[in-house]
Amino acid sequence: MSGRRRADRSTPSVFLAASAFQYPSSQKTTEKTKVLCLALADALSINLKTMLDLALSSMMSSPIYLLAQDAAADVTEATGESFSYTSLANQALNGIGIVGILLLTALGLAITFGVMRIINLAHGEFIMLGAYITFWMQDTFNMDLLLTIPFAFIGTALVGALVELTIIRRLYGRPLETLLATWGLSIVLQGVIKLIFTAQLKYVKAPSYLSGSIDLMTDEAGSALVSISYYRFFIVVVALALLGITMFLFYGTSWGRQIRAVTQNRSMSQCLGVNTKLIDMGTFAYGCGLAGIAGTVISALKTVSPPMGQDYLVDSWMVVVTGGVDKLIGILAGAFLIGESNAIIAFLLNDPTARVLVLGAVIVLIRYRPEGLFTVQKRS
Amino acid sequence: MSKSPIISNGFSRRRFLQYSSLAAGTSILAACTGGGDSGSSQADLGENPIKVGVMYSTTGSIAIVEKSLQDATFLAIEQINTGTGPWEGKGEGIGGRKIERVVVNPNSDWDLYNQMSKRLIDEDQVVCVLGCYTSASRKSVLPVFEEKDSILYYPVYYEGNECSSNVFYTGAAPNQQITDSIPYCYDNFGPKGFFVGSDYIYPKESNRIAIAELEEAGGQAVGDEYAALGTTEFITIINKIKAAQPDFVLSNLVGDSIPAFYRQFKDAGISAEDIPIMAYPTTEEEIQAMGPEYSAGHYSSFNYFQSVETAENEAFVAQFKEMFGDDRVTNGVMEAAYIQTFFMAQAMSDILEAGDEINTETLREATRGQEFNAPQGPVKMDEANYHAYLYSRIGKWQEDGQAEIVFATDAAVKPIPWSQALYKGRMCEHPTPDDRSDPNKETGKDLEPVFL
Repeated sequence: MSGRRRADRSTPSVFLAASAFQYPSSQKTTEKTKVLCLALADALSINLKTMLDLALSSMMSSPIYLLAQDAAADVTEATGESFSYTSLANQALNGIGIVGILLLTALGLAITFGVMRIINLAHGEFIMLGAYITFWMQDTFNMDLLLTIPFAFIGTALVGALVELTIIRRLYGRPLETLLATWGLSIVLQGVIKLIFTAQLKYVKAPSYLSGSIDLMTDEAGSALVSISYYRFFIVVVALALLGITMFLFYGTSWGRQIRAVTQNRSMSQCLGVNTKLIDMGTFAYGCGLAGIAGTVISALKTVSPPMGQDYLVDSWMVVVTGGVDKLIGILAGAFLIGESNAIIAFLLNDPTARVLVLGAVIVLIRYRPEGLFTVQKRS
Repeated sequence: MSKSPIISNGFSRRRFLQYSSLAAGTSILAACTGGGDSGSSQADLGENPIKVGVMYSTTGSIAIVEKSLQDATFLAIEQINTGTGPWEGKGEGIGGRKIERVVVNPNSDWDLYNQMSKRLIDEDQVVCVLGCYTSASRKSVLPVFEEKDSILYYPVYYEGNECSSNVFYTGAAPNQQITDSIPYCYDNFGPKGFFVGSDYIYPKESNRIAIAELEEAGGQAVGDEYAALGTTEFITIINKIKAAQPDFVLSNLVGDSIPAFYRQFKDAGISAEDIPIMAYPTTEEEIQAMGPEYSAGHYSSFNYFQSVETAENEAFVAQFKEMFGDDRVTNGVMEAAYIQTFFMAQAMSDILEAGDEINTETLREATRGQEFNAPQGPVKMDEANYHAYLYSRIGKWQEDGQAEIVFATDAAVKPIPWSQALYKGRMCEHPTPDDRSDPNKETGKDLEPVFL
């Protein structure tokens, strides 16, 4: 076991995070925590000392620290204003926008990893595929962003089905091989997109009717104090709608019952006449399709480029793991916790510090609740 | 004669399948991840070509920028080898010898830049290297070029405060980009600036200099925020900007972050009239990616814009589009990559004319003082400090994605590598001939702007 851990040291962070969940849950939780710690340090590409340095130096430049300093009085006057409650409320409201993006990008993973237990490191690339399908359709047919959503879903779902058929299917029950295969797949997908569309950043047009913002509170002069843009609000709505649809599919239809039956007891469902191969393919394709929709929706707010998926991969993993992998509703809680705490801490301190603190908190959480926040009690 | 074991055993079908699938797989991988010698062919370089290293990442997070630098470099080499463009009338190649480019792809990994530059110098025996984009990669290769005494041509605006006998800097020094833009912001927008940047060496140093310049002008920094390289979520920083209510934002965000920041800035309801963004790394390429409606009304400070009106620029844009496609745009970094290739070629041409051999010493001495009619206007490599005389310009982005030039110097400005706001009076003067001794001189007085 120790030899294996040593080998893990040189592998990418997500590997480690993912492999932490490969240990059977009956095993000591410290094992997971150790591996996750390594993953965190690696994810930030810095060791513990520089991490502390970073946190310290960023605290030095934070408004709180500056408030305490008399010497920097005039700077404090300016930044001190940002401490008003309306600004904080505005940030909290916009944190909901971040939650929406996290929820949307993690939903596909909640299915491929949460339900099917496939360690899918190509999840980010499916998001990227969705964004590129939107770009391509806008470029050639001049379509509205919303109209491209079904095509992004179908397109990425088809690629997902193909991947399941050719790669994943052969690797069920071999999580480490799946991990390597999907990692390789992510490199290949990035390469293919780069060959077709070149490495240049791409422009996706946002729908004009979704520009502007909802103002909840304004000052006397009429400028908004607490507001969220229509587009961010739209992302939250789409994310919640997709979560609702997915939950209905899983808990309210016979297809969903079959999926759950297959994941709980494959051979028994096979005996009962369930076509497990078809179910597997359909579920994986559906998860990939959701990632595709996420790609489409965020493409108007973010940057479209071949490596864009990497950004969302780690976040999605954290959300799914925090929420618990058994219940879909868990990712709502996971996304909310991570998104909001990130937003609030980042506002009080700064972005890099917030990331360190939130990832640290996730480790602590996993240490004491390795199964995540929401989980089904199972007899092992 | 003994039979070969493969033939004697028969080349089984299974083995054939194994080998062929391996070969196919490798070639696919190579196609996907390899640097890809795109552009023109390298066939028929004639006798005794001059080996030059080209080191830009065509994969990884910085590939988006470095690929276009590579394209501009390839265009210049192609023109030199075929005797077209600015090389018209000088014959094919340099004194009959063509340039053989040795292309490596460091995959946006700073350590790989170091290893690959060693490989280029030791194994490929190149005479010099054209390459690098981020300051992190330059810092990573600098010890290699100094230890092995080879030459790097570096085409990027940077934070300055460096002076090496082994690097020629064709990008803007702080006084050619920051020094004019900060007073412009102060005069036209107001005294309060909010500084944002990506979290690595160039944006932090550049902002440090800009803040010092702003304070010298009588303004103040009301915020100073950094986001991890590659971040595309900016709502927190934007909310902080809203709360601090600055007169302008100075952005040193790079790469993927740029389009996301501008899009979310407008999406959050801040117009360019209320709080304009002045940026250094935002160029035509990023504007094209974000959509011009998001950038209209914001500003960039650069030596070159695609909209600069010179005959040389018209030709450069046309030739670039002809080689790489009509939908491509040119920008300041690409222009610098293009210029430096000609600085190098002219220096080599002078060496061969004088009957010398091209090596580090002759190339270094010959590159000093080279002049070139660049797309941005006439420029020159400073004899003393190895940085280039460049124009200083400020452009206001229009609805069509091009810049309207609202400020420009009349001639190229002499480079001052050391930020005068931070190190007053410090200048860099390499001795002639360069014995690689410490070039830094404390002049102890205010350095006045000098023009070409």
